[in-house]
Amino acid sequence: MDIDDILASVDHGPGASPESTSLDHQSLTRFWVSERAVSEVLPWPTALMDRMMDRVRMQIESIEDIAASSADAPPPTTHNQNANANHNPNLNLRLSILQTDLARTQYIIRSLLRTRLAKLTKYSMHYLVKLSSTNQILSQSQSQSQSQSQPTPEDSVPDISAIASFDPLSESEASFVHAHQKLLASHYSGSFMGAFPRQLRRLDDNAGGTSMIQGPETREVVFVRCLGAAVPVLVVGEGDQEEDIGVTMRMGDVWVVRWEGVKAAWLKGEVELL
Amino acid sequence: MAFPLPRGITPSEIGFLAEMEMVTVVPRQRLEGLELLGGPIEPLVPPRRASLPLWLALLLKRQRRANIMPPSWLHPEPLNLILEVESQHPDYRDAFSPPPPLPGQPSIRDDGLAPTARPQYTPDGNRYYASPPFLPQNTAQTEGFSSRDPPALPFHWVEMGNMLLESASDDLVEPDQIRRLLKDLREVRLAKMRAGTDVLDAAATGGGGVALTGVGAMEVGEERGFLTGVVDNLRKIGASKEQARREQMAEQRANGGYDGAQDEEEEDYMEF
Repeated sequence: MDIDDILASVDHGPGASPESTSLDHQSLTRFWVSERAVSEVLPWPTALMDRMMDRVRMQIESIEDIAASSADAPPPTTHNQNANANHNPNLNLRLSILQTDLARTQYIIRSLLRTRLAKLTKYSMHYLVKLSSTNQILSQSQSQSQSQSQPTPEDSVPDISAIASFDPLSESEASFVHAHQKLLASHYSGSFMGAFPRQLRRLDDNAGGTSMIQGPETREVVFVRCLGAAVPVLVVGEGDQEEDIGVTMRMGDVWVVRWEGVKAAWLKGEVELL
Repeated sequence: MAFPLPRGITPSEIGFLAEMEMVTVVPRQRLEGLELLGGPIEPLVPPRRASLPLWLALLLKRQRRANIMPPSWLHPEPLNLILEVESQHPDYRDAFSPPPPLPGQPSIRDDGLAPTARPQYTPDGNRYYASPPFLPQNTAQTEGFSSRDPPALPFHWVEMGNMLLESASDDLVEPDQIRRLLKDLREVRLAKMRAGTDVLDAAATGGGGVALTGVGAMEVGEERGFLTGVVDNLRKIGASKEQARREQMAEQRANGGYDGAQDEEEEDYMEF
């Protein structure tokens, strides 16, 4: 038991009330649908996911308890088993309801994590560069100086060991994507890139003004429902700068719009992705 | 491959979401309340009505432990009314019939009232506005919505209708007629969806969009692949035009003039 466990148990106080259970469930469902709907990785809701994982763990324990008590209670004779069944006829029903509910939640969490993993492996370099550029310039300049002396594809993988914030990833996702890209880079270097001229060995080349790192397409359209009273669709220019305001969505409306135009409103919870 | 499915939830996942809708059941046996991960379940005491998520209601229904009360809109009369609006009403020739209002949204009858969104707050302090499938749009008496509201198709109407017709048709009033009406509704609305592809260009420009208000979840799921594909290709075709327009706007801004840009936005606004 370390300090994190104690903090987690304190955090559990308000999280244990029934309203917040269903609210968390609704938020998780909505986040899952959103994550499936867009091509970029959405900011990881750390607090929400911690609470959900805790609840799942506790639910598994309580299901095991109920199952164990039903298995222990009846002595071996069939006569007594019937008596026990009469005593608590709903036990199997309760168990199957609890298990169905658990399986449904686990399905959402699994699908959510796998969607994120798929996006991360697809755009691993993009997210690594994003992580290191938002956090520290220091680590990048280090890797740059190394790469000049001895260029290998591995050197173009940004070092994320010193960063403090993993936004938009979770900590384990960040370490996964780093390990993934390291492996990929060493595979490339071993299989073909080692034979290339030195200046062609980097994986983050942007010679000729075109970066070779591919990122997710934020201009793809999404289906949204407007939940706030009125939400304008923004016109986003180069470099994520908000340039202008386009059409305005009213409450309850469903629109097909560009994701970049409603992302800010989504972060505030004023639109929902469908 | 970490995840093989395409962007956007698939039809079977839309069905999974629809199973979270609350429905009204009349239990046939007692069951104590349960603490589920999706929220607590009230104790079942026959013959008192209770609200349960659809998946649980169907589970109990299959074991003959409960009867499902059909949602207020899933009766022949309201469906007939909606079908009439959908196919005859001049205002909705190219649009879907209005969806049930969200909490705080004025109903279609008192038009002109400003909507007041009433957020809840999550434990993390973020604002949260409830929306389907977490609104009581499929309960027998739609509490929270006044009875003078005209009948409306909820977001998950296709899935809800199909699942109830499949597993609980004996609980429905005139299931054959309901099945026929649902099929008619689907055809009318599908035709509107197809006719709407003409205005998709509006969604391909920055800041523009196409309104699909009143669309159902399954209808979104059906059209997602086609629609996003068309719009993305339109966007790529128009990319150079957009770039030129952006440069022109930047130039205007440098000159201190805003006026030219304003007019163009009016054109982007198109009703489906």
